Parts: sequence; structure tokens; C-alpha cells
Amino acid sequence: MYIVLMYDIMSDEKGAKVHRNVFKISKRYLTHIQMSVFEGNLSELKLFQLKQELNEHIRRDKDSLIIFKSREERWLTKEFLGIEDDKTSNFF
Amino acid sequence: MGETFYIFNNGRLKRKDNNIIVTTPDGRSKNLKSEVTDEIYIFGELDMNTKLLNFTSQQNIIIHLFNYYGFYSGSFYPRETKISGYLLVNQVKHYENLDLRIELAKEFLLSASHNIYRNLRYYNGRNGKNVDLEKSMKEIQSLRNKMKDAEDINQLMGIEGNIRKIYYSRWNDIVNQDINFNKRVKRPPDNMINSLISFINSLVYTTVLSEIYKTQLNPTISYIHQPGTKRFSLCLDIAEIFKPLIGERMIFSLLNKNQITEDDFEINSNYLYLKETGKKKILMEYDKRLMRTIKHKDLNRTVSYRHLIRLECYKIIKHISEEKRYEGFKIWW
Repeated sequence: MYIVLMYDIMSDEKGAKVHRNVFKISKRYLTHIQMSVFEGNLSELKLFQLKQELNEHIRRDKDSLIIFKSREERWLTKEFLGIEDDKTSNFF
Repeated sequence: MGETFYIFNNGRLKRKDNNIIVTTPDGRSKNLKSEVTDEIYIFGELDMNTKLLNFTSQQNIIIHLFNYYGFYSGSFYPRETKISGYLLVNQVKHYENLDLRIELAKEFLLSASHNIYRNLRYYNGRNGKNVDLEKSMKEIQSLRNKMKDAEDINQLMGIEGNIRKIYYSRWNDIVNQDINFNKRVKRPPDNMINSLISFINSLVYTTVLSEIYKTQLNPTISYIHQPGTKRFSLCLDIAEIFKPLIGERMIFSLLNKNQITEDDFEINSNYLYLKETGKKKILMEYDKRLMRTIKHKDLNRTVSYRHLIRLECYKIIKHISEEKRYEGFKIWW
């Protein structure tokens, strides 16, 4: 499944910590492409694991996290305006 | 299916935030998503510590190392988690009993030579040059028939050698670039094509190793090749089947589309070494090829080339646990 994940964490007293944790967890599964946006290919199981981990940190009343799912990468076209970069590349 | 990362930069590979990160001295870095990574290919000079190795082992990530010149030097292979004593015993049994061993070896080589034949058939009359490969195809077919009657491994390998000789002798007709390639030379390869074959074969070999790792098979017990010490010879056996499909087809297309030319080699080294740009181009193409899919006729779904290798391992497992006779993978499209 191709995933685009983005989040809004309320920046109050505890916000920084939540933000940090959510960021660290997400980058283990997905590629960090913009400030609070990640994308990548995950299996059903890995997505479930990711959600489980995130659920421990997200505050239901304050934060919001959106996951866009697409069955396959090729059903999703990506367009760049401005700087085009290849953060999702497997080469470094 | 996990992801593969290829690292060319120099720098440091480390564990950070329970993740793997590469950093270069000039401050650039990249996260290698540890949860979804299966393999890391390293071509640059990297520092790493045991913390990182312990972590990759935990996450079942294989690290393949290549030296400065692009030659495969080894893999960091995490502790085997999928082990099966039962299967190991059967694997050994099939090796020790000559009849059982030759049955498997024959099937490997028959599939390999069938795939070679298919490559020739594909290029027969193509390329606008109207090359006629018919004669070589016939020779290969008759050698394949002889293979079926071979009585021991040496004889089998002899026939295989002859098939490869005929096959290689036609490469000059298949490849549009003017490279004088007559025969396979290793240690050291002596021209562009020989270097390409060596490099790409080592890639196929590591991919097979990664796939075997995901199954219960023991990679050291092999059937065509003598199971020596110090190497995973089962990979060589299985790679034999996939070299024509994944490796050699790619060499033809890279050269015919002029994606790889003399400029990608260090001329001073007598075409022995690929430049970094050359290696990158090949790896990008290789990565794409592994992800290519075909419609599998038995499974009735699409399967990637990489997954075909794993399916091959499963078929071998079935064979040696005497569930279903092994039938090697033959190109059917």
C-alpha cells in the first residue's frame, strides 16, 4: 500500500515531546519528504504496527494525523512545483 | 517486499532513534527506514560500529559489502532465524545420494540452459542486423538433450560449459557496440563485457543470498557446485537459473541502448574497473529489473523477478522434503 502520512501536533507544553516521538516513529517506516509529511510503501501489517506505535503518543483531543492510502504507487502521480528533490530515492 | 538501499557516499552508518542513518562528513544524511529495509548495499567507505550491526541483525537486514573496485567482498548476514533441522537433514541427504543430487543439478542446469536458449531466440533476427542465431540455438538444444542423459556432475558441468561457450560466442552479434568479446575471462576480466558480467553476476548472487535468507534453506549446501568452505554455494546454483533472465538480458539492453559505454570504465585499468557513474547506472537499472513483474501462470497473479527467486527456493524446499518434484524456473513468455 502506498501511504502519505501527515500530522498536526498542537504545540503546547507537552506538544514538543509528542511531536518528537511521532517524527521518530514515522521515519522508521516512511520517508520524510516535508516538514510533517511522510510517504512510502508499507504492507498491511507494517501499517498496522505503525498505527499502533503512533496511537501511544497521539493525544486524541489535541493532535491530528492523517493517512492517505493508495493501493499502489502507480495509482498516484506526484507533481512538484519549485524545488524537485529525490528524497525517496534508494540511492545515496 | 522490503526495500533495498544502495550507498555510494563515504561517511558513517549508525543507529539513531532506533533507525539507521548514513551521514557524510559534509553534513548530508539519509534515513534508511529500518522497519521496511531488507538489504543495504555498500559501495562507499563507511564507518560503523557493533551497535549498528546488532541493530541490523535484530531487524533482519543484510548488509552486502563491495570493495573500492566494485568487487563483492562479503555480506553481514544476521543470525539465522528461520532454521529447520529437518530441512537441513534432507538437504544433506539430497547432496550425499548421487542420484538425488544429480536430479536436482540437472533440473537447475536444464532451466538455466533453457533460459539461455530463450535469450538467443529473443535476439534472433532482431537488432536490424539480421543476425542468424538459428544454428547456435540448435546446437544448444542438442546439448540440452545430452544433458538429460548425463550420468555424473562433471559430465553435466562439461555440457553446461559447452553451452555457455556457444552462447558467449554469439554475444558479438547480439551487442551493437563494437566490443571484442569472444570468451569469458575472469580474474581479472579483460574487456568491458567480461567486467560487466563479473559485476552483475555478483549482484545476482547477493540477491539470491538475500532471498535464501528469508527461507529455511541452508545456503552452504549446493548441488551443482561443490559445496566448498567459505562460501554460500547454493546461491551459485540458484543464480545459474536467473543469470540469463536478470543479468544477461540487462547487459544486452544496457549496451544496445548505449547506456553503458567505454566512458563508464577506467580505461587505464584495461576496462577492469567501473567508474562510480557506471556502477550507479547499472544498479539503478538492476533495481528496476528486480521490481519488474510478470503474470505467473500457476499462481495467477503478478510476481516480481525478485519474488521469482524466492518462489524457486520454496520449490526446492518442497522437493527436498519430498512433497513435490522440483521443476526449475523456465522463461515462458
